[in-house]
Formats: sequence, structure tokens, C-alpha cells
Amino acid sequence: MTMIARPRRRFAIAAACAAVLCSSAGAAEMTTETDSVRAESKVMQLPIRTDGPKSLDPVEGSTTYDNMACAQFYETLLTNKYTNPMEMEPLLLTEMPTSPDGGTTWHFKLKPDVYFHDNECFPDGKGRTIRADDVFYSIKRLADDEHKLENWWLLDGTILGFNEYKDEQNAADEFDYDAPVEGFRKINDLEFEIVLTKPVYRFLYILGMFQTSVVPREAVEYYGQDFSRNPVGTGPFILDTWVPKQSLTANKNPNYHPVYYPERGEWSSADKRNRLHRAAGKQVPFVDRVEFTMFVEDQPMWLEFSKGKLGYTQVPEDYFTDAFDLASKQLKEEWLRKGIRAHSNLLLDFTFRGFNMEDELLGGYTPEKRALRRAISYAIDLDEINKTFYNGRRIVYDGPIPPGLEGHPENHRADAAARGPNLSKAKQLLAEAGYPNGEGLPAIRFYTSQNTLNNAVSEMVKRQLAQVNIKFEPVFLDFSTLIENINKKKAPMFGFAWSSDYPDAENNLALFYGPNEAPGSNHYNYKRPEFDAMYEQVLTMNPSEERTAIYEQMRDMVLEDCAYVGGMARERFYLMNPWLLNCKPTERYYGWFKFLDVDDEARN
Amino acid sequence: MWNYIVRRTLYNIPVFLSIIFVVMIALRVNDPVSAQLGKNASQEQIDLLTQEYGLDQPFYEQYARFIGKLFTLNFDERSWDQGFPVGEMIINAIPPSMAVTIPTLTITATIAICVGLVSAFFRGRAIDRSLMFIAVIGMSISVLVYIIIGQYWGAFLPSTQYEDWPFQVTVDASAGSSWYFFFKPVNWVSFCMLPVLINVTVALGYDTRFYRAVMVEESQRDYIRTARAKGASTRRVMFVHMLKNAMIPIITRIMISLPFVITGSILIEVYFGIPGMGRTLINAINAKDFPVIQTFTALFAALFIVSNILTDVLYALADPRVRLS
Repeated sequence: MTMIARPRRRFAIAAACAAVLCSSAGAAEMTTETDSVRAESKVMQLPIRTDGPKSLDPVEGSTTYDNMACAQFYETLLTNKYTNPMEMEPLLLTEMPTSPDGGTTWHFKLKPDVYFHDNECFPDGKGRTIRADDVFYSIKRLADDEHKLENWWLLDGTILGFNEYKDEQNAADEFDYDAPVEGFRKINDLEFEIVLTKPVYRFLYILGMFQTSVVPREAVEYYGQDFSRNPVGTGPFILDTWVPKQSLTANKNPNYHPVYYPERGEWSSADKRNRLHRAAGKQVPFVDRVEFTMFVEDQPMWLEFSKGKLGYTQVPEDYFTDAFDLASKQLKEEWLRKGIRAHSNLLLDFTFRGFNMEDELLGGYTPEKRALRRAISYAIDLDEINKTFYNGRRIVYDGPIPPGLEGHPENHRADAAARGPNLSKAKQLLAEAGYPNGEGLPAIRFYTSQNTLNNAVSEMVKRQLAQVNIKFEPVFLDFSTLIENINKKKAPMFGFAWSSDYPDAENNLALFYGPNEAPGSNHYNYKRPEFDAMYEQVLTMNPSEERTAIYEQMRDMVLEDCAYVGGMARERFYLMNPWLLNCKPTERYYGWFKFLDVDDEARN
Repeated sequence: MWNYIVRRTLYNIPVFLSIIFVVMIALRVNDPVSAQLGKNASQEQIDLLTQEYGLDQPFYEQYARFIGKLFTLNFDERSWDQGFPVGEMIINAIPPSMAVTIPTLTITATIAICVGLVSAFFRGRAIDRSLMFIAVIGMSISVLVYIIIGQYWGAFLPSTQYEDWPFQVTVDASAGSSWYFFFKPVNWVSFCMLPVLINVTVALGYDTRFYRAVMVEESQRDYIRTARAKGASTRRVMFVHMLKNAMIPIITRIMISLPFVITGSILIEVYFGIPGMGRTLINAINAKDFPVIQTFTALFAALFIVSNILTDVLYALADPRVRLS
């Protein structure tokens, strides 16, 4: 039997080798054309830290990485300014929307020359111009429960008749996108109005968020479930390949509507020193192709950047001292010699340790309960945590409003805050709470996600609280279990972080708005009718000193009640290779990749 | 033999069903929908998704539905995290994994068997001690250390000195979505060879020690003494008599490793950006992507069962004394 089997085995091995060689040869032929096109083009290689987007359908997206990817293919009515991302400007509109009645009715005028990408979903494969109906259709998709209502919160209760439309259509057998919404008024194909239930200032920010991007109905219906991986928008790039959690490549949209690089006068003098103004007035995009590689681990990303293969990189915590002097935060000489530039942004972060205000031990609004929470807060030294674990690179601040936004306290400090370390005050408050020297106080159970850093930080907090005889019992959970416990109001104290969706303190103050209680974003289950009334008031207010004053009042109310211990904000550092031009990274929006250019000579 | 294969397959069906049962139970201990929706989910969203994923159905119904899909080879269920059909994800992930694991298994087994033979032959002498010392060193260091050092010293640093250095730190976006990318020789050398070398270095220690132990045992048997007494050459004794009789443990060892050819190596794939099965699985676990985790588990269980049956068949082919009945 063995004797007979041998020739067969040899034949099988030979056949397998031949098959591999043939497939390799075929593969080589198939890729030659792509490779040559790639060689003649301006190609920009960029990283996406972590595993990238989950979906390329804007209404199903929520993460930074969904945003980063979708913003290359889709566009919104408004966008952030590249020169100052805190401000908005029109993108698909000819001008900023106007409101004749102080913010309830908004009038919009679309640009006439904006085409969707050429795609087989359109007759003859040619993209058509966008119309007012596309805007209405795209917004209506947010209400369709087929998309899991992932982003419904953006417009919940905002547009006249939209909540009723959502309820009716989701209850019906089939969601009817042609059914009218009271607040949508079409004037002609390029002009329309949206009527709100009440003036809501954040509405304009929401129109700049990628979830409200304009999509063509033809594409959604043509691709069905696969629309999430076949983006058809008006953006500067057209998807070429997407390998989930691996890479994403896109080619320049040849029919991209006229968008120009910001004029010289719009750049600050610091930006001009970095020569960010040099492409002023030129039509974008500049590159022919953009290639994103996703990096779950930091080392490969760091090495690829150091080799000069990636245009820019975030500086991971572990590599900070490789690039920067710890004390001065200045880029080291060796990097400067290579022509590498650095940039940093303060993120709109809010990292905190929250209290469940419905918890029997830690919750409640009586003076004793408030004293207990404040005692805990006074005993915790956030500066020590910052110095030990983050090289002092985080901003420790009072109140839930991150630095850079109206309502943030001067010098990051507010009088109402129970900022530690102040052990004598902590002991005094502990006694007022009915636990002199911590006697009789049960252990504080603190729920947080399981990772090495959290373990170490919790040990430090445990030591700090032990100084006033408070027993601290960290409970480490995987993220989903942590969320589940918090959503079910089972966690007495918990560690979390929040990143603002738009640059307005209202977004952070919503975390303490009563109706948003768990499983909503108010994880503290903080409920104060006075606070809720003020929140409802600021929703309808335009930026003004009066609004800022109310923000400060709300901030101090939360601080007095001590609904959390915190907070901290991160500063993000970036490095850019000399071949990447016009780059000023920001995480406020991701439509800025179209402004980037590459200098292939500098690359070599 | 076919009777045996059919019977063993039937015996293994309850094992397979039990594995699926346990995995499905384990995945449902914590609320998977909350995990998917993140921090700001409303109750309406949670209810909606629970219904959409069929998690509001009794467990036995969910179990029966999944088993039904497996037995009809219906892998159309979509990933919760990515929205892609799970079958497509598996098909796309297998070739990159195999581009690394098949060379690893082949090279490791060949070298380890040869080193095992040499070590056994020179048992107790300097060459044996040296080889085993190297093997112990190799297996004592974590694969993560090899990866980090390998990426830096094997790919990054030389590439800054030599423009044409072949090894790359990680797979970049130019790989696109083509499965054959990793089978082009130039790409294989650039992106897979270093991972293969690292895998071989780690695996070699374990395998060499195992094969040496097997060969030492064989070398003390009577038939070896007889072969030597009859004047057989050293090469013949080692590679014909000893190797042939050591085939059972060798087959066992190789067949145990066989499922890993498909499942890939998680750390290697994550660090080197190889879009294989290991990376896909760990991503799915991190994202609590049930359809993917369940299907992968079922696939892995099936692979182990098949490789077990195949091992028995190979025993019979390698050793005429083994009868499959």
C-alpha cells in the first residue's frame, strides 16, 4: 500500500506547488496595473490607532474611527474650520444657515455643483447632484430603528414632528421615507428649511457631525445591508479597499466640488511659522490616494513612523520620552534634525470617578451624604496620580467642563470643588457625615475596567483614602460588565471617561441632566430639578455671557453636590514627517485630510 | 477504515454539541447587548438590539438555530461589529494565517526532528547538552519579547541602514484585500518571513525537547541494538529504523499542531498586522462579536475533532500493527 501511495503523494505535492506558483503568477499580473498607477500617484500613508471603523455608514457610526473613515467619503452641511476647529463653516452649503426667528426656523441653501461619487447605483454609473430631498432622507435615517437608533440622541426632540414621525414609522410594517415630517420644508431642490421644536443652539454643531452626512437614497437601496461597506457620498475620496481592522484605501474623487485651502489671513502667526498657509487658496484635495493602516499595538505604528513610512503619528504614552523632553515637552534634537515637527492638542476630555447618587451609602442629597462624598474627594490627590502615571501631562481641573470651553474655571480651579489633598478637611467632613475617623463606614466599592493602569491607579487611591481611614475596595471588570453594572445602577462608585461630541459645555452638562439617568449618559443618576431647569434653559440660548454664567452655576452645583471626583483632560501629542505638508492634526473633526499634501522628494 | 471514521465522527457529535452549548452559555452570562452599545445606550436601543439579535428568544431556540446553521454550512450571519457575513470573514482570514503557519509547522517539525535525532544519538555529550541548552533558552523567553525585539532589530533598525532590507515591520495598507497578496514570494519574504522565524524560534524549543525524548526512548530499544549488531550504518539506524518507529509520537505532535495552521497565532498576527484568523478572533472577542466568536469556536472544535480522527487514521497507515476497528 505504501509503495503505491508514494507516486500519488509526489504527484499531489507537485500539483500543490504548481497551483501555488500559478496563483502567485496570476496574482502578480493582477496587481501590476494597480502598482504602476500607485507608483505614479501622490500617495499619503496615515495610521489609524486601534482597529479602525466598524461601519462606513454614517448613521451607524459613533466612534472616532468611524468618523475618521466616513469623513473621507461623506460630507455634512457644516464643518469645523481647519484653521480653528472650534468654529463652524459651510461645507455643502453656500453660506451659514440663517434663522429669521431667532433659532427656531433655519434656512439652508445647498451648493449647486456638488455631485455624488460615480457609482453603479446611479443610472449609467454617473453620480448626480445633491438635492434638498437627500438631506431630509439622510436625517430621516437616524430615526429608522433598522439602524439601531445609534445616533437618534443627536436629534431627539429637536425637529418639529420628527419624534412623531419616528414613532409612527417604526410602528408601521415598513418605514416610509416619503412620509412628511412637519419640520422639513422644501423650497426647491437647493433650498430648504428645518423647523425646530424650540431654538436649540447645538443644532448647528449636530449638522457638522458625521452622523448627519448626506447620503444618496439610490445607494442605500441598491446596496441594502452592504451599504455600510460601500460608501457613496460627496467627499473628497472614493473608497478603494477596506479590510476591517486592517487597512482602508481611497482614491481622489475626480468630481469633487470646488473646496479651497484656507486663505493666508485665516491662519494664526504660529501656524504661519509652521508654513501651514503655503497652499492658501488652492483647490483640494492635493493627493491622489490615501492609505490608512490600522494599528492595534503601538510599537509597529511607532516604528513605521520612525522609518518615515507614515505621514504622522500620535505619540503613545510609552514613547513620549523617546520623542520629547519630559520637563519642557520640547521635541528632542535628534527628531528635529530629521525635519520632524510636533503638534499638540488639548482634548475635550472628562475623566472622573463618579458616585451613584441613588446608592444607599454614597448617594443622596442630605448634608451628611454630601459631606461623605466631599470627604472622599478631599482625600484623593489627583495631582499625585497625574504625576505618577501620566508624567504630569494631564490637566487636572474642577467641574465637568473641559479646558477650552465656556464655563471652564479659571486656572482649572473652582471654589465649589472639594479638590484634594486636604486630609484635615476630609476628616472633618467624615465626622460630619457620621463616620468620625472612618468608624462605621463600610468599604467603598469602586467599579472600574480591568487593565494594568487601572489596577495601579486604584492601589494609589486605596492608599490615599486609607490616610483618613476610608476603606476602598476596587472591583475590576471587563468593560461590558462594567457598563452593565452602571446601567443597572449597581455600582456605588465607578471610573469612566467622557469625550465631548461638540465644543459646547452643554454636551458635558447633559451628563447630569435628570432624564438622562442610567442607562442614559447620566451614569451618576444625578437629579436636581434646579439643575434640569437650567439645562433646559441653556439649550435654547446662543453663546453669551448670560449663558456662560448659567454654565458656571450648573458646574458649581454639581461640584457642591460632589457627584464625582475629578476630572482630568489629556493632551494629545503628534509628530509629523517632513514629507507630509499642511498638517495640523485635530480630533474635533476629520474632514481635514483633504487639505494634506505630500512632498515625495522630501520622503526620499 | 471508513466504518471507523464514520463511527468516530458520530461519537464526536455530542462532544461538538456540548462545546457549542458551553460556549453559547458562557457568552450570555453578561448582557451582550449592553456591551455592544457602549456607555450611552437608551433602554429603547437595548430592547431593539436584543430583539434584532434574537437574544429575546429562549436559549434552546437560539441554540437550535445556531446548530441548524452549522450543519447546513450556513455562515451568512453577519458580524455584529463589522456587518460582514461571518463566512466571508473566515474565508478571507484563512489564507494569511496559512501563509505563516504552514511554513512554521513544516520548518519547525523538520528541524526539531533532525535536532532530536542528533541529540538523542549524542546523548549526554557536549553537542546534546548544547542543543538542549539552546532549546531551553528558546522556549523560556516569551513570544512577545521575540516579537518586540524582532520588529526592532530584525526589521526596523536594518531598514534604516540598508535601503533594500527585505523584512517589514508590519503589513501596510498596500496589501489591500487580496488573499493572494501573502503568497507572492516578494510579499511573503517582506511580511511573513520574520513572523515565521519568530514562530519557529519559539516552537523549536518545545518540539526539540519532545522529539529528543522520543528518540532517546527509541534508541534504547532492542531493534536498534540488533540493527547496529547487523552492521547498519549510523545514518540508516537513525533515519530509517529509529525515525520510522518514532512515527506515532511524531504524528501525534504534528497533528495536535494542525488546527493551529488554520487558527493562526494571535500575537504574531496582531503585531505584524497579518489579517488572519487569530487576529480576527481576538478582535471579535474584544468587540464581544458573538456571531464571529460562536462560529470560530465551532470551527476550532470541528478542526480538533477532525485532526483527532485523522491522527488515528495516520497511526494505522504509519504502523501496520495498529488496526482501526
